[in-house]
Amino acid sequence: MKVKGRNVLLTVMTLCLSLLFLFTIQPSHSITTTTAYAADNSLQRVKARGKIVMATSPDYPPYEFQVSKNGKSEVVGMDVDIMKQVAKDLGVKLVVKSMSFSNVLVAVETGKADVAMSGINPTPERRQSVDFSEIYYNGGQSFLINKTDAGKYTSKASLAHKIIGAQTGTLQYNLAKSKIPGAQVKGMDKNTDLVLALKTHKIDALGIETPSAEAYVKNDPDLKMIKSGYSLNKNDTGSAMALKKGSGTLVAAINKSITKIKAKGLPNQYLAQAGKYMKVNTHNTSMFHYWTYFAKGIEYTLLISAISVIFGVLLGTILALMRFSKSKIFHAISIAYVEFVRGTPLMVQVMFVYFGIGIVVNLPALLSGIIAVSLNSGAYVEEIIRGGINSVDKGQTEASASLGLAKTDTMRFVVLPQALKNIWPALGNEFVSLVKESSIVSIIGVTDLIYQLNIVRADTYRGVMPVFVAMIIYFVMTFILTRVLNYFEGRMKHAK
Amino acid sequence: MPNKPLVEVKKLKKNYGDTEVLKEIDGTVMPGQVICVIGPSGSGKSTFLRCLNMLEKPTSGQVLFEGKDTQKFSEEELTTLRERMGMVFQSFNLFPNLTVLENLKLAPIRVKKMSDKDAEEKALGLLKRVGLDEKANVYPDSLSGGQAQRVAIARALAMDPEMLLFDEPTSALDPEMVGEVLAVMKELAEDGMTMVVVTHEMGFAKEVANDVWFMADGYILEKNTPNEMFDHPKNPRTKDFISKIIGNV
Ligand SMILES: Nc1ncnc2c1ncn2[C@@H]1O[C@H](COP(=O)(O)OP(=O)(O)OP(=O)(O)O)[C@@H](O)[C@H]1O
Ligand SMILES: [Mg+2]
Repeated sequence: MKVKGRNVLLTVMTLCLSLLFLFTIQPSHSITTTTAYAADNSLQRVKARGKIVMATSPDYPPYEFQVSKNGKSEVVGMDVDIMKQVAKDLGVKLVVKSMSFSNVLVAVETGKADVAMSGINPTPERRQSVDFSEIYYNGGQSFLINKTDAGKYTSKASLAHKIIGAQTGTLQYNLAKSKIPGAQVKGMDKNTDLVLALKTHKIDALGIETPSAEAYVKNDPDLKMIKSGYSLNKNDTGSAMALKKGSGTLVAAINKSITKIKAKGLPNQYLAQAGKYMKVNTHNTSMFHYWTYFAKGIEYTLLISAISVIFGVLLGTILALMRFSKSKIFHAISIAYVEFVRGTPLMVQVMFVYFGIGIVVNLPALLSGIIAVSLNSGAYVEEIIRGGINSVDKGQTEASASLGLAKTDTMRFVVLPQALKNIWPALGNEFVSLVKESSIVSIIGVTDLIYQLNIVRADTYRGVMPVFVAMIIYFVMTFILTRVLNYFEGRMKHAK
Repeated sequence: MPNKPLVEVKKLKKNYGDTEVLKEIDGTVMPGQVICVIGPSGSGKSTFLRCLNMLEKPTSGQVLFEGKDTQKFSEEELTTLRERMGMVFQSFNLFPNLTVLENLKLAPIRVKKMSDKDAEEKALGLLKRVGLDEKANVYPDSLSGGQAQRVAIARALAMDPEMLLFDEPTSALDPEMVGEVLAVMKELAEDGMTMVVVTHEMGFAKEVANDVWFMADGYILEKNTPNEMFDHPKNPRTKDFISKIIGNV
């Protein structure tokens, strides 16, 4: 009997897993098939929609970065200005979508954005997965070093066997790996973190595009820029826009626009403009100056956590009831779900919901984040509720049954109310931990506290202070929440 | 008194895994009868009661309710069986999340589909009957043991059962509260309620019971009138047990 139940469970689990795999593999097929069958209508689609969506990682001044304009945070920079011009030429509006750099190409591949523009170098590897426009700017490669090391590091050769930092997944990263003998390359997702690593001597030099390097040097007297000295094919090092494979018509239209823009010498004009933004921006780097950013972040973090905990409780209850159901299938699905969700990182789940499910229905980042965190929380809440149900004395169920009450009524009127009361503290803890864990949604560009923190860091060129402020904010939030929950818990114990 | 049995138990057997708890139980309960069941701890008295209202499924044998095999009951018939055969537990098992009144109203409303007003009227009447009408709106955990058990009896009565099962209704009570519960039970018996009562309250058994059944080792070893059972037990095991409980009292 027991063994048989196990087998059913295993079968269902394998089934669920293989379904998931199929689901994840499916998209790439469907993309190729749609491009094979349907004629390229990328340009038509953008024009029909009246807007073009650009994915970017706004932590790369002067290409793209965040500033506050009249108290509102906005993505600016050369890339944005160029894209604005392109949009104008196409006769559509520009929508900028922020996310981490490692996600911008995925966003294009999965249709979350029409164009990825984030100082991207059109390397041969990348050309295999996306189409590129013509190069719109060629900034060249440099290194940032600490001014104190100016005598030690003067060229690429002097960096041999040193620790070189670079953004993960960038040309700089690959160049440092392949062209500097014996170099140990350290990859991070954000240039702001890399600059901090440089200043704290965790790395010796930072491989970075020249315009960015110049921006940092201008804003930080402790840094110095040296030329990279790489001999490079110009075609592989300039910046280009990435588009989904098979967007020939859109690429052609964009290229036309780029040619015009370059002919007018606009990129350099835009760079100068970006520099001005940065000057205004670095004028006041006090954390108080950025309180609206942090406030917005708190608002989103609390919003995501609160909504997710509500849906998590709903889902968790359903899963727990399935677990207790007589149906072997329901029982097994519930176990499989909980095991699977608990066995995979929230970060991967967030990305899966945003990019994976996003292929079928285009979900906005905030909604994706809430869905992913809710789905994740449901699995944990299921365990809490199951514990709560088990904690209700068996005599209660028997008394209820002896009165002729149906199983569902027994659950609804007798067991669940008592279970929920028992698990109130555990649910409160789940809420508090969601406040902390939901921080992961910043990777898909949800403007929660972590996201805002990164903006402030990129914005102020201050690595540590914003982190410290965010840490204090998180602590104050969880501390207050815990007190409030304790208060209600006490009240629930007295009154009923 | 009509002489068709209300409940008949035939060769009832109940195992939990490898443990044979009930080996072979036979017995008949006539309408209006009060049967007391006595026996050492672990002899299967609770299990026997729970097989009567199908809280436990018998391993083999039959429990007939009005001549019908309860094991073949549909979900609906099972609900009807439990409506007609109430149960009172040693540990009361009142629902702590509901007030006394709500405890009484829940089953009539959900099972009998009674209106809220009717259920409330009925509940208040029953609370009055067990002398607890002023406790209608309190939560169970503010009741004393004796009060809680009287509420539990009222809750069972709210379904208008023809028969009540009591599983050691007074053994979790402080001695000074036993009397108030037994008084309620006595009244019920006088009103003609059919009852199967697991109890070692000899006084109650002698005064109220028609028959006393002695259970041990998974069998009913002796069935007798209360006076015979307590004063002149036949089976040596019964003798031994009776002398022990008399010694204790
Ligand atoms: N659900 C169960 N699973 C396994 N064994 C059980 C279960 N319920 C009861 N038993 C066993 O069956 C035997 C009889 O239990 P039961 O509760 O019917 O005895 P009892 O006569 O009511 O005893 P007491 O006077 O202690 O209440 C005991 O040995 C008990 O351990
Ligand atoms: Mg018992």
